[in-house]
Amino acid sequence: MAIIQTNNLSKVYGSGDAVVTALRDVSLTVETGEFVAVMGPSGCGKSTLLHLIGGLDRPTAGTIQLDGDDLSRLSDTRLTEVRRRKIGFVFQFFNLIPVLDAVENAALPLILDGMKLAAARATAAEWLQRVGLDGQTSHRPDQLSGGQQQRVAIARALATEPALVLADEPTGNLDSRASDEVAGLLRQVADEWQRAVLMVTHDPRIAAYADRIVFLKDGSIIDQARLNGTPLEGAQLVRDKVEAL
Amino acid sequence: MGGEALWDVKPAQIYSTLARLKESGGICEQTVDGDGEGPDRRVYAITEKGRAELTAWFDLPIEREHQRDEVFTKLMLALATGEAEPHRIIQIQRTKLYQDLHDLTAQRRLANPKTELAHILLLDSIVMHLEADLRWLEMVEARLDEIQRQPVPEPELRPRGRPKKNS
Amino acid sequence: MSIQLTLAARYMAGRKLRTFLTTLAVIFGVTIVFGLNGLLPAFSEAFRQNMLASAGKIDLTVTSASGGTFEAEVIAPVRSVNGIDEATPILRQNAILPTGQAVNAVTVVGVDPESFSQVRPHSLVLGRYLQAGDKNALVLGEKLAEEMGLKLGDIFTLPSAAGATDFAVVGVIATQGVLGVEEVYVPLSTAQAMFNQAGRLNTIEARFAAQADRVQVAAAVQAQLGNRFKLGEIEGGGQFLSALAMGQIVLNLFGVLALAMGGFIILNTFRTVVAERRRDIGMLRALGATRGMVVGIILAESLLQGLLGTAIGMLIGAGLAYSLIGLIRPIFEQFLHMSFTGRPVFDIPVFIWALVLGVGITMLSGLLPAISASRVVPLEALRPMVGVAAQRAARRGAWVGAGLIGLAALTLISGAPKAAAAGAFLVLIGLVLAGPALVRPIALLFGRLLTVIFAREGQIAQGNMTRQPGRAAITASAMMIGLALIIACAGMMSSMEEGIGRYLAKSMGSDFLLMPASLVLGGGNVGASPELAQAIRDTPGVQDVTTLRLANSEARGTALQLVGIEPESFARVGGMEFMLGSEAQIYQELRNGRGIILNGVFAVRNPVQLGEWVTLKTPDGERAYQVVGVGSDLLNAKAATGFISQANLAADFHESNDLLLMVNKTPEAEVTAVRSALDGLVKQYPALTVMESTEWRETMIGMFGKVVGSLYFVLIALAIPSLIALVNTLAINVIERTREIGVIRAVGGTRRQVQRMILAESLLLAILGIAFGILAGLWLGYSLVGAVGVVGFKLTYFFPATSVLIATAVGLIFGVIAALLPARQAAQLQIVRALRYE
Repeated sequence: MAIIQTNNLSKVYGSGDAVVTALRDVSLTVETGEFVAVMGPSGCGKSTLLHLIGGLDRPTAGTIQLDGDDLSRLSDTRLTEVRRRKIGFVFQFFNLIPVLDAVENAALPLILDGMKLAAARATAAEWLQRVGLDGQTSHRPDQLSGGQQQRVAIARALATEPALVLADEPTGNLDSRASDEVAGLLRQVADEWQRAVLMVTHDPRIAAYADRIVFLKDGSIIDQARLNGTPLEGAQLVRDKVEAL
Repeated sequence: MGGEALWDVKPAQIYSTLARLKESGGICEQTVDGDGEGPDRRVYAITEKGRAELTAWFDLPIEREHQRDEVFTKLMLALATGEAEPHRIIQIQRTKLYQDLHDLTAQRRLANPKTELAHILLLDSIVMHLEADLRWLEMVEARLDEIQRQPVPEPELRPRGRPKKNS
Repeated sequence: MSIQLTLAARYMAGRKLRTFLTTLAVIFGVTIVFGLNGLLPAFSEAFRQNMLASAGKIDLTVTSASGGTFEAEVIAPVRSVNGIDEATPILRQNAILPTGQAVNAVTVVGVDPESFSQVRPHSLVLGRYLQAGDKNALVLGEKLAEEMGLKLGDIFTLPSAAGATDFAVVGVIATQGVLGVEEVYVPLSTAQAMFNQAGRLNTIEARFAAQADRVQVAAAVQAQLGNRFKLGEIEGGGQFLSALAMGQIVLNLFGVLALAMGGFIILNTFRTVVAERRRDIGMLRALGATRGMVVGIILAESLLQGLLGTAIGMLIGAGLAYSLIGLIRPIFEQFLHMSFTGRPVFDIPVFIWALVLGVGITMLSGLLPAISASRVVPLEALRPMVGVAAQRAARRGAWVGAGLIGLAALTLISGAPKAAAAGAFLVLIGLVLAGPALVRPIALLFGRLLTVIFAREGQIAQGNMTRQPGRAAITASAMMIGLALIIACAGMMSSMEEGIGRYLAKSMGSDFLLMPASLVLGGGNVGASPELAQAIRDTPGVQDVTTLRLANSEARGTALQLVGIEPESFARVGGMEFMLGSEAQIYQELRNGRGIILNGVFAVRNPVQLGEWVTLKTPDGERAYQVVGVGSDLLNAKAATGFISQANLAADFHESNDLLLMVNKTPEAEVTAVRSALDGLVKQYPALTVMESTEWRETMIGMFGKVVGSLYFVLIALAIPSLIALVNTLAINVIERTREIGVIRAVGGTRRQVQRMILAESLLLAILGIAFGILAGLWLGYSLVGAVGVVGFKLTYFFPATSVLIATAVGLIFGVIAALLPARQAAQLQIVRALRYE
């Protein structure tokens, strides 16, 4: 089932001589349980695409269907509601509220949605456990490592059980080991919890975790790589390398 | 040590390797009686020459096997002849590299870092090479237009045989 | 607890110093509003009782319409009226004392001791007061006792219907202001027997409940009693009460202004809060928080701050009220002979008022930043953290501000004093709006001066301040209010001081004054018969005498105090400032027919033209008077007053006693000789006292100076919030620039240099505030002086040079003090941590 479907999405900034076309006729579909990475050089429009799909910005032309809603037609209030209920965000800079502890941060979207505090905390604690953070639930962000902070952010993104998780350079501020952990966690989000995951990254190794990689250049999709196969084939690859010795 | 996959080798492969080593005089073979309980066993031992070679191997750095790079050749030929689209070559190669990377990272996630670290490190080596290849492809792709604008050098015409006399 | 409050509380706890300073601003305002409002009822009650009593006045007197006595039972319906606190039955008769005594007549007042002291408080000097069961006991005033040489236990014989009755003096009370015929107090039943009036009274005096509506209560009493009785109410008391109410308004105004300064501080804090948390807010928006929720979070924080500040302010305010009252009570009782039994009253309206102001202003100041926070787009969350960008001065605000100041300038030029006064407030608002645009030029101007002292640090400071012109301007605005008030009030006071001096010289320009002690209170004074004036005229060395007489009337629905003058001698000895009509002609017209000079207070309420007729109420019906002039003198500056000739006053108002006499001596006469002659003459009129005018004028100006002095004290206290504003802003700047300070230290800046940098910035901010304050203060003062002229006082504006200097000094000192803590903090930053600071 398609969670996101964009049709000829375009975004133009500025006017007159200073027109910048950030996105040109982008049509993209992401299915339930699919993990899609968007790659491309900086300025290629990948962040703009993510903002449009996340309802943080409005397209100049084209439509975005998110789980049945046409985002380009929603009012600000409805859009806010869609963000709250259907989308989970993971940011490069984690963006946790410094004065709230891990559980409170993860519970934030639930609280914003009007859930009772105790229930929200319980749900958030559950998700923290699932993302592998059970010991540090009462730590504040400054007491957590970067990888741990990003796990809290992922738990926060998942807490409302959204259809879609959007990640903007989620490993941009992490070392390679924490990056692998976070990317693996996003893989798990798609495989185990069957969310559609759309991630922007410039790191090939992180992109390789995805099911599909979309290559953007100058605002257009220039290539897509569908990655299929099982870990077993990978094992074969290693064997071949060993044999070559 | 380092995970099962690493040491998982087929017997046939071992015998052919042993045969090669014996031929080159690196090892010698002895037959040991089975003492009536089992079959006779063949025991291989390293020779003086073999040990010297081993020591030398350990002591010398390994020459990296540089681009016997077919992708590069493909690209250059496509550019020079116009027989293929260079972008397509890049895309096909990239998809393959990402597929490999995808598989490897998947496998790497399955490996247990507590018992199979050697395996993981081997995987990392491959991963990193793949990453380098991908980055290189990216760079080529970004500069493809520029290369295309640079002229293919005209081959210098060298007359064969004896030079003609000028009148 | 909701997420808004949780976040608010956590954020506040995370920035303790800033929270403390911001809350302090609220506390200060609430302390003033709450403390003084709690104190005022006690004050006004004490003043009301004591002053009314000393003026011989009570809230309400009931007498028979025919002037005779009535049955004692009438007291019951009076007491039953809602709003009457206490009523007391009185039988009052004059008694002529046998000749040969120091005093020839007294008023015997038969009282019911218990209820009487409720209605008229007294303070005992010797012995005891009358008690229930007393028969021939008598209490009298200190002065009378002294004059008659009476001591406790002496016998005082009073003539009565039965011949004479002997009384034992049991107590002496402090002489209350009423001079003239002295009162002696005896038990009611004894008085009734003495005057053959068993069971009868001729007066009921009543006291109103503290919050009673005077007009309503009086009407209710009248309705109960019917028209057999007439009620006496006091105008003077009403006037006095309105003065008290005025004081209350002024004090509240101070509180509100202190809170307004607090508002600016809060505004600065919350603007910073929003700038600091743009990423957090953007993230919340991305996570699905609505604009309303974002506004809610910021407002929750201001609510919390407001509640905290208000609660602490109330506590301190209550403490202040109790300690002040403890301080004041002995002063009142010892020096003023006033019983002061009140305690601070914090009733529900006081709580509500403080709460509404404290929380209201805090939340109002949080509202603008909250709205700007709600405009933060969710994309903000995805942008990398950048330092707070330098603000650009808001151009629109600057234009609007300049427009308002221009408009104010027009009102000033227009010469309409009321418009100019309103214009002065436009200047305040205009400066607040235009402030950000003025920061740069002023910083450049004074920055150069500062670089002389601070070298490079001054330059950096100047650059730093102009980076946040909005913040600097808001800080300066807070300071401006405080300093502008000091300067405006000073300008007004020095102009008034000069003006009063001039008015005194003119309207009380005679060499000697003979006046009752309680003249200022108006009404109820006992004067002297015209023989005194004649006797003085015949005294050698006296050149001229003029007298003032007093009556009460009403015109055009306004109570009007009528002063009877003798035009010819008044023009020579006294005098007044005229706003309409020419002096010579006015006095001429006053003599012929029924002419009246109306004063400014009346003219402001009821505009009149020369030649117009006004109808005055007289005891014999209405009489029409023609307006011959409009002018004011000092004595009657506060009350609506008309001046008519003494002939008319005698004819229409049956008043021919002189209340005030002004005497000029001949140039060659000795002051002391004339004075002793006057003293001799006045002996028979104990109500009057002789004063040399110069001495009296000095006393008046001295009293005025004391008032001004205490006012300055209050004003300087009012400037304290501007100190908080400075500290707050500097603290914010230091936190915001932690990383920059780290860089300065890393590249070799010394701690001292960092400190000097902050000090220079603080001084620059202070200078900005001083500049705003002086400009606004002079403007405000100038137009207020003009506005006073409307009421009939023509004042010349005096440039308050000293106060400008004081304000500048206070501002600069504040600048140095404000820098102490933030500079210390900045200097002690650890370089490595500062560099890592985000």
